[in-house]
Amino acid sequence: MMTRFLESNFSLPALFVLCLGSALMIVKETHQTRLLFAQLQTLESQRWALQEDYSRLVLEYSTLSAPHRISELSGTTLAMTSPDAAAIKVVEQ
Amino acid sequence: MSAKITKHSGYQVRVLVVAAVLAGLFGMLVFRLVQLQVGASQYGADFLKRQGDLRAVRSAEIPAYRGLITDRRGSPLAVSTPVVTLWANPQQLIGSGKEPALAQLLNLPVDDFVKKLERYRNKQFMYLARHQTPAVARAVLSSDIPGIYGQREYRRFYPAGEVVSQLVGTTNIDGDGASGVEMRFDHRLQGVPGKKRFIKDLHGDAIRDIGVVSEASDGESLQLSIDLRLQHAQHRELLRAMTETGAAAASAVTVDAQTGEILAMTNLPSFNPNRRGQLNLAAMRNRVVTDVYEPGSTVKPLTLVAALESGEFDIDTIIDTSPGRITVGDKVLPDPRNYGAISVSRVIEKSSQVGVTKIAQAVGHENIIDVFQRFGLGQATGAEFPGERSGRLPDHDFWSAIDQVTPAFGYGLLVTPLQLAHAYSAFANDGRLVPLTLLATDNVPSNGKQVVSPEIARKVITVLHRVTGDEGTAKRASVPGFSVGGKTGTVHKVGKAGYLDDRYVALFAGVSPIESPRYVTVVVIDEPEGDIYGGGTAAAPVYSRITQEVLRIRNAVPDSAEEKDVLLLAEAGGIPRG
Repeated sequence: MMTRFLESNFSLPALFVLCLGSALMIVKETHQTRLLFAQLQTLESQRWALQEDYSRLVLEYSTLSAPHRISELSGTTLAMTSPDAAAIKVVEQ
Repeated sequence: MSAKITKHSGYQVRVLVVAAVLAGLFGMLVFRLVQLQVGASQYGADFLKRQGDLRAVRSAEIPAYRGLITDRRGSPLAVSTPVVTLWANPQQLIGSGKEPALAQLLNLPVDDFVKKLERYRNKQFMYLARHQTPAVARAVLSSDIPGIYGQREYRRFYPAGEVVSQLVGTTNIDGDGASGVEMRFDHRLQGVPGKKRFIKDLHGDAIRDIGVVSEASDGESLQLSIDLRLQHAQHRELLRAMTETGAAAASAVTVDAQTGEILAMTNLPSFNPNRRGQLNLAAMRNRVVTDVYEPGSTVKPLTLVAALESGEFDIDTIIDTSPGRITVGDKVLPDPRNYGAISVSRVIEKSSQVGVTKIAQAVGHENIIDVFQRFGLGQATGAEFPGERSGRLPDHDFWSAIDQVTPAFGYGLLVTPLQLAHAYSAFANDGRLVPLTLLATDNVPSNGKQVVSPEIARKVITVLHRVTGDEGTAKRASVPGFSVGGKTGTVHKVGKAGYLDDRYVALFAGVSPIESPRYVTVVVIDEPEGDIYGGGTAAAPVYSRITQEVLRIRNAVPDSAEEKDVLLLAEAGGIPRG
C-alpha cells in the first residue's frame, strides 16, 4: 500500500503539501508562543506594579494604625481614656 | 593512430581521477556536515547547540516574594516591598559624557563618582545604588544615559520598628533571614526564586526573553502569636521603668499558659530595623531568650512545690524563723527582721530566707532540683528562637551544706526570663506545662505535660496571690479590679570577684487573673540605680501596669464586676465575641 503510494504520480505533490502544512503550523505556533510570552511579561510587570502599591499601602496602613498613634489621638482629639475597674460592665449572653 | 588514442585516453583518465578526487573531497565535506548537524558524535549537534547557547542565551533569576510576618490580629510586622537596584556597565558609560548628569540624579558628589567609575574602567558591572524606590529608579532608567540597568529586588520593611525589632529580627541585604523570627522561620518565609531565559547580544544587552524555565513560588506568610497592642504596652512600660530606675536594660515577656503562645516579648535598649546605619549589637539581643540570670526568690514557688509534694509541709504548716538568721556551713543567711513563727505561706509572702532554708534542708536539694527540671528550667522552652539559651541547673560532685540550700532561693542556677515564664505557666494551667510557641494557634496543644498535681498548682497560686496582698513583698504588683499573684526577686549581679554589693537585677514573675489563671508575665530590670532597685519596687509596678493591659486587651472579667453590674443581653443580636 505504502510502496504503491510512493510509486504513484501523486506522491511528490502530496508530500510537498504535507510538508508545507506542517511548516505553516510551526510558524503559527511560534507566533502564538511569542504573543503569549509578551502577554505574560505585561502581566508580570502589572503584578510588580500592584505589589509596589500593595506594600506601600500596607506600610501606610500600619503607620496610621500604630498603637502609639492611636493612643495619642484617642487621648488628645477624642478625649478617651482606658476605663477603670469600676466603669467596666460585663455583658453576659 | 594508436599514439593518438593513447594520448586521448590518458587525458580522459586524468579528468576522471581529478573528478573523483574532487567528488571525494566534496563527499567528505557533506559527510562532516551531516555528522556535525545531525550526528551524535562528541562534537555533534548537541555540542554545537550548547556552544551557541553559551554565547547567546543567559538565564536570569525571577525573585520570589518573601512572606509577610503579621501579629496575631494581622497587623504587619515585616513586609517585603519591591525596590530596584541600579547597576551600570562602566565600559558603556565611560566616555558618554553623561557621568555628571548621572551623579546628580543619584545624589552623589560628581568627583567621587568619576573616580569610582575610573576604578571600574575594565569591569562590565558596577553597583550604582542598591534598593532604590521604584519611583527614583524609574527617573534614572528613563534618562538617556547609556549603560544603566535596573534589577528588581525586594527589600524588607518593619512597620512596627523598634517595638518588636529583636523578636522579628532582620534579613541581610540578599534577603535571607539573619536573626529572630526571620531566621527561625526562614525556610517558610523564603519562596523559591524562578528562572527565565533570554537572548543577549554581543554587548551583553538582553534582546528578548525566550521563556520561563521555572516560575517563582512566593514565600509563606506567618501569623505570630504576638499581639502588637500588648507588645506596644510592654515597650511603653519598660521605657518608663528605665527612666524611673536608671536601669541599663529591661525585658518583659507575657505568655498564654493554656496555649503556650508567647503574647509579647520586649527588650530595651532596642533598635530601629529600618535604619541600619549604626547597629548596636547589645540592642539587637533578644534578652528574654538569650540572657541568663540567677532567678533569686522568683524560684521560691518551685521550692514550695517540692515542700508540698514531700507531704511534710502544707501552706499553713508553722515554721519558726527566729532569731531572724540561720547559719549554713560558714555562711549566715539573714532575714530583714525576725518574723518569728510563721506559716509556710507567710515564708513565701515575706520571702523569708530563714524559712526557705529550713524547708530546703527538710526536703533535700535532689527533690528541689527535680522540681526545677520538671518545670523546664535548664531545658529549651520549645520556642526554638535563634540564640535561645537553656540556662543551667546546679550540678556538683560534692554538695557542701551551702550548695544544698542556695538553689532553693534561686542562687547557683541560671535561667532565661522566658524559662521563668514557662515554669510559672504550669501554675496557671492546673499543673500542665505546654511547650511555648511563637506562632498563633487556635487549639490547646495536646503535647502538654502534667508536671505537678492540679491541687498543688492551685495552692501555689493562692500563695502567689497573697504575695501581692497588703502583707506581701509585692503590694505594688496588684492590679485595680483584678486579683493577681506573683513573686519578686532581687539578685546581686556577679562581677569579677563574686557578687557585687551595689548592682542588682530586679525580677518579677506573676500570674493573672487568680480566679481563672491564664497569663504569665515576667519582668526583668537589669541594674536599676539608686533607691529603687528591688523586685518589689522596680519590677512589680511594671508588672502591674503591663498586666492591666493584658487583662484589658484579652477581655478578662474583673473581680469587681458584681451581680448588679452584669447586664444581660437579649438572645438575639448579641455582640460579637472578642
